[in-house]
Amino acid sequence: MKIKVCGMKYQDNIEQVAALQPDYLGFIFYDKTPRHFDTEIPEISNDIKKTGVFVNEDLNTVIQKINEFNLQAVQLHGEEAPFYCNMLRTTTLLKKPIEVIKVFSVMDGFNFKVLNEYEDVCDYYLFDTKGKLPGGNGYAFDWSLLNDYPSTKPFFLSGGIGIDQINDIKKFKESEVSKYCYALDVNSKFELEPGLKNVGVLREFINKLSNNKEMQKYNVDERGYYGDFGGAFIPEMLYPNVEELRENYLKVMAEPKFKKEFDQLLKDYVGRPSPLYFAKRLSEKYNTKIYLKREDLNHTGAHKINNTIGQILMAKRLGKNRIIAETGAGQHGVATATVCALMGLECIVYMGEIDIARQAPNVARMKMLGAKVIPALSGSRTLKDATNEAIRDWINNPVNTHYIIGSAIGPHPYPDMVTRFQSVISEEIKWQLKEHEGRENPDYVAACIGGGSNAAGTYYHFLHEEDVKIIAVEAAGLGVDSGESAATSVLGKEGIIHGCKTLLMQTADGQITEPYSISAGLDYPGVGPMHAHLAKTGRAEFMSITDDEAMKAGLELCELEGIIPAIETSHALAIFKQKQFKPNDVIVMSLSGRGDKDLQNYIDYFKI
Amino acid sequence: MTEKMNRIQEKLKEDKKLLSIYFTAGYPNLDDTVKIIQELENNGVDMIEIGLPFSDPLADGPTIQDSSTKALKNGMTTEVLFNQLRNIRETVNIPLIIMGYFNPMLQYGVEDFCKKCQDIGIDGLIIPDLPVDVYHEEYKAIFDSYGLINVFLITPQTSDERIKYIDSVSDGFIYMVSSASTTGAKSGFGEEQSEYFKRINDLNLKNPQIVGFGISNNSTFKVATTYAKGAIIGSAFVKHVTNEGIETIPNFVNSILK
Repeated sequence: MKIKVCGMKYQDNIEQVAALQPDYLGFIFYDKTPRHFDTEIPEISNDIKKTGVFVNEDLNTVIQKINEFNLQAVQLHGEEAPFYCNMLRTTTLLKKPIEVIKVFSVMDGFNFKVLNEYEDVCDYYLFDTKGKLPGGNGYAFDWSLLNDYPSTKPFFLSGGIGIDQINDIKKFKESEVSKYCYALDVNSKFELEPGLKNVGVLREFINKLSNNKEMQKYNVDERGYYGDFGGAFIPEMLYPNVEELRENYLKVMAEPKFKKEFDQLLKDYVGRPSPLYFAKRLSEKYNTKIYLKREDLNHTGAHKINNTIGQILMAKRLGKNRIIAETGAGQHGVATATVCALMGLECIVYMGEIDIARQAPNVARMKMLGAKVIPALSGSRTLKDATNEAIRDWINNPVNTHYIIGSAIGPHPYPDMVTRFQSVISEEIKWQLKEHEGRENPDYVAACIGGGSNAAGTYYHFLHEEDVKIIAVEAAGLGVDSGESAATSVLGKEGIIHGCKTLLMQTADGQITEPYSISAGLDYPGVGPMHAHLAKTGRAEFMSITDDEAMKAGLELCELEGIIPAIETSHALAIFKQKQFKPNDVIVMSLSGRGDKDLQNYIDYFKI
Repeated sequence: MTEKMNRIQEKLKEDKKLLSIYFTAGYPNLDDTVKIIQELENNGVDMIEIGLPFSDPLADGPTIQDSSTKALKNGMTTEVLFNQLRNIRETVNIPLIIMGYFNPMLQYGVEDFCKKCQDIGIDGLIIPDLPVDVYHEEYKAIFDSYGLINVFLITPQTSDERIKYIDSVSDGFIYMVSSASTTGAKSGFGEEQSEYFKRINDLNLKNPQIVGFGISNNSTFKVATTYAKGAIIGSAFVKHVTNEGIETIPNFVNSILK
């Protein structure tokens, strides 16, 4: 099925949506709608048919607009008679022939006899929901009414189509009449405000509809799996909580109001977009082109806040008033405490007893932000056990509590939800790189991986771009084979940790083992299920970096670029010593966090 | 199911309220497993859940987590447990259930694990983190072919619809978690529990229910079994063993059944 995106209004937005290569773009020449088009159409691909939408407009005006804007199709939304349609198809006043789409509104029923007179005078029908306005009413009609469709003329299906109807559309595609459904027409359900389309959600919608299964293979499927990994292996006590989230997360995220609030906070509070910085001296040193995506400049100093902002808004939508989180080094704990303060919600952070001792400044930050920090005293008293304690808290408080997981791990839908909130990183990279390099896709995207949330966000919009290679950098600790490592993709085996099936470090007997890395953010015994899938399919190249290599790379960035990176990020930066890139390669690396929190480690290591 | 009736199903037909005890295998000492099982049977316990320890037991509170950590330190593994239980059916007749998390079973190989259980004479499994739908789609056929009953949990938050689904997939009993909590977190029952017990009773499920979580003495055992077929005691027993040692198991069981 083809795609028409209607109600385009703003220049930048038109270009962004055109980049998604829909088949039709609609411009509404009707001044009683907020989507009224009154500017210029920027240069867009000739493969996209520019469609003028008119409502009972004077025929001469229509012809004039067609010529002026070089339209390839018109969509007639009023009570235009058959002769009117015919005139458009036969007039010699047009420079080129035009496709005529005649709109019919459907509500509780539809008398298909009215189509008879139009059979020979238009190219397509378009069935829209009958509402107060001629189009743009935002809800769908009962598509089963089309089962009585008597014609063989191809039609557009329209009216309130949004991303939450993907399954309905798939079902509709199985119906007999769908073979005449030529295109889907979307509009208001993809808007941030009238006329302004949400490019990310549109992209996802188009990807999901794509018949090419290959193109979907790195996204989560309907069962919550990435290939063999993922799922929700949770005790029954957690089922209602996780199920509530699963049922709602996509719906809520697609709400224009939600997206608007999320974007606004990312902009005004977090400080997004984060810069995409061309690291000139680093690039010179390694004779290649390195761009750093500056997540370290976000409020609270890392990418973590993208996710906590998203999840706190989600928690509010679901009516939760108590927030729990786990934290290792304290970065996610601080990001969670921050958004709880922002929203005035109770915040409880679980943190391993050993980590509390190691990360005193972050513990103090959380306390200043009003959070209660509860030590995890069980097991090895680090991140893994803090996560266990948070899950136990959730079991004991199933009704009013939302658990903000800090990485792309946990039971479905967490890995996907966290990835989507973090995907703002790659969304920005695309347009920022276009400004720098004239192209959206770099040759490589690279990021460090603990659980893998910054990596997931950095890769997300490149997962299915075949020309973009993906590099994932794990912590090798004292060396992959030293017994003191966190290189899960090498050392891990398929198993279940914290509610999902993924690669994890474990004994032959299936007991989860303690990883080691100098970086507190990377010493997690598992890896997000999406990354396990990227490793297994070979989509991503996994590299392991030792403590020593990382620390030196961190110092090198300080010296060459004047940026003190988090030790997690330093692991990613160390790949340039291991891997030779070509002079013209463009590498975008996520600079996931700043190094303030790691100062003591740097001091101890370099004896500064 | 195999044609022969499983010991759990036979036990459920008896006209009495059943007492089931959970303990962590390999705790307090690695070789206590068989002794504990025999002591429990000799003192009138109806059914036993043998806890296969796991490093990260999400559904359990501190008592069972600590006993699991200790048991693993003592050297308990799946293989060691199967070895200890090798001849258990020479002395023990009551139903035996292994309760453990899914990852160790996955690593052992689910089919191998089930086969070994059948060889030994294990009657059923309780795997808190194996969801009912995954079990139904991927593993039920294997469990059935080795005559093993898988027991599912329900909680006060589980919807009636889901309870009915769980009932339809179950062949033994339903493990009714008394309150939204981890093991050992709460003691005693309030109004809320009584209503919940009654609500479940009124659903007229085909499987009897056995109540777990929050039962620690004679009075909670009685309340829990007002409607239900039996009750499971876990944390309270593990605590007793920790404090009093395994020699006093008769005292513990008698205090419940007095």
